Amino acid sequence: MYQIFIEPFRFPFMARALAELMILGALAGTVGVLILLRRLAFMTDALTHTVFPGVVIGYLLSGEGGIFWGALIAGAATAVLLTLLTRHRAVTEDAALAVLLTTFFAVGVVLVSRESGYTADLTAFLFGRILTVTPAQLTQTLAVTALVIAMMVILRRPLLARSFDPEGARASGYRIGLLDLATNTVVALVVVASVRAVGTVLVIALLIVPAAAARVVSDRLALIVPIAAVLGAFAGWAGLAVSYDASIHHGLRLASGGTVVLVLIAGHLVALAAAAVIRRRPRPVRRAA
Amino acid sequence: METTPEPQVPPPALDLDEVTVAYGPALALENIDGMVAPGEAVALIGPNGAGKSTLIKAILGLVPLAGGRISVLGRSPAAARRDVAYVPQADTLDPEFPISVGQVVLMGRYRRIGWLRRAKAADKEAARRALEQVGLADRARHRFGTLSGGQRQRVLLARAIAAEPRLLLLDEPFNGVDAVSEQALLDAIALLKQDGAAVVVSTHDLALAHLACEEVCLLNRRQYGFGPTQATLTPDRLRATYGGHALELRGDRVIVAHS
Repeated sequence: MYQIFIEPFRFPFMARALAELMILGALAGTVGVLILLRRLAFMTDALTHTVFPGVVIGYLLSGEGGIFWGALIAGAATAVLLTLLTRHRAVTEDAALAVLLTTFFAVGVVLVSRESGYTADLTAFLFGRILTVTPAQLTQTLAVTALVIAMMVILRRPLLARSFDPEGARASGYRIGLLDLATNTVVALVVVASVRAVGTVLVIALLIVPAAAARVVSDRLALIVPIAAVLGAFAGWAGLAVSYDASIHHGLRLASGGTVVLVLIAGHLVALAAAAVIRRRPRPVRRAA
Repeated sequence: METTPEPQVPPPALDLDEVTVAYGPALALENIDGMVAPGEAVALIGPNGAGKSTLIKAILGLVPLAGGRISVLGRSPAAARRDVAYVPQADTLDPEFPISVGQVVLMGRYRRIGWLRRAKAADKEAARRALEQVGLADRARHRFGTLSGGQRQRVLLARAIAAEPRLLLLDEPFNGVDAVSEQALLDAIALLKQDGAAVVVSTHDLALAHLACEEVCLLNRRQYGFGPTQATLTPDRLRATYGGHALELRGDRVIVAHS
């Protein structure tokens, strides 16, 4: 166990990758609960796609360092667009989203295809490059995490009220439009922070799976949030360790992002099994007097 | 602007003055007029799509008026929001939502608690008492969605009571509610009225209008009557309000007002 789970992280690049993935895992797990409560999984998926052209343009303009800022601008633009689109329900929400996400994604693909290292670049954008995380990137991730957690703590009551009962929240004076913008912004920030490490395709798993698994084992928010955060962080750690071990010691090259997601899915399956067992457990038999 | 002298009597809880609401070019409500005093209840009666919900939203200040004026406790609806509580229909809420009954009721205190502070003992006490008032004190730790429809409606009323409102608005609170819950709702509403709160209830149920409300407002886009329940719920007025369509009454408790 030691050899698999501790030893690899003696290398500074592996330690940085571990820190990045565990922070992102915990952050995405937490925000995932909000996504779950608001039923925004599809919106989140759209967001991961619309961030893609931002990533590409940022990279084309100023290399690796441009990815974060390109993603940030695209993410912010999408958060605003989505808030406006879903506010007036003239178009059905999912159709509007589907159009938006494919359009943005296609723009990204066209832009990448003009580059010489087409396949390598595309792979990096889609699946991330966790092993090359720099200290500067780690700092950015920490800053985003602090910002997102602060927003969630400050807005926790309005967000809960709005998620549970939008009409009632509006009636008691909460500004639903602003709350929804804040929600979309929080989700966009997490997507942007995660996109370089795990890629646009796998972010969605990081956001949705831990929260969904936590919801299966508990129906109390006070437990769901920490369970999702811990599961997200743990999956980052275990996935990274397993993919490293397989690559180095067994000659089996496993992409780390994909391995993280598979660990998450395994966690979800365990949660489902655990919930099934709990439900089946016979009620305590009343003792005869 | 001249300063008006301080009024000697408290302002009415609700004052509707020629209220007109338009959705696009279509009028949803036209020239609604009426007044509700503190401690009184008024039933909004009319068919589906009559504008009952729209009127409630207008009183909450959530839809703009195309004409007329609404004053709540002598203030504009937006300015009075802190003293107004709204009870939505329980079946519009997601029963899978991971929230306990106690948490739902505590939401009624959110505006008082603020954003960052922890809930004070007084807030928790108010929530507990409100839940007691609707007869569900022993369910505080249960998940909201595990309760029956009628019990959920009572929890939402408890949330409103916890906010200590002076005007309470209920949207079809008796729809699909069992007899026990119906009585609990009526009792809690009566208690609120005793404490001086005014109540507006939208319903199709004439029997309940008789039981719970001193006044009725007959509504179908425009107003077909506003006044004391017995005198206003006449067969002629009802027929006019419902446009000759069959009334939706529960089979066993039909009370059509006799003239």
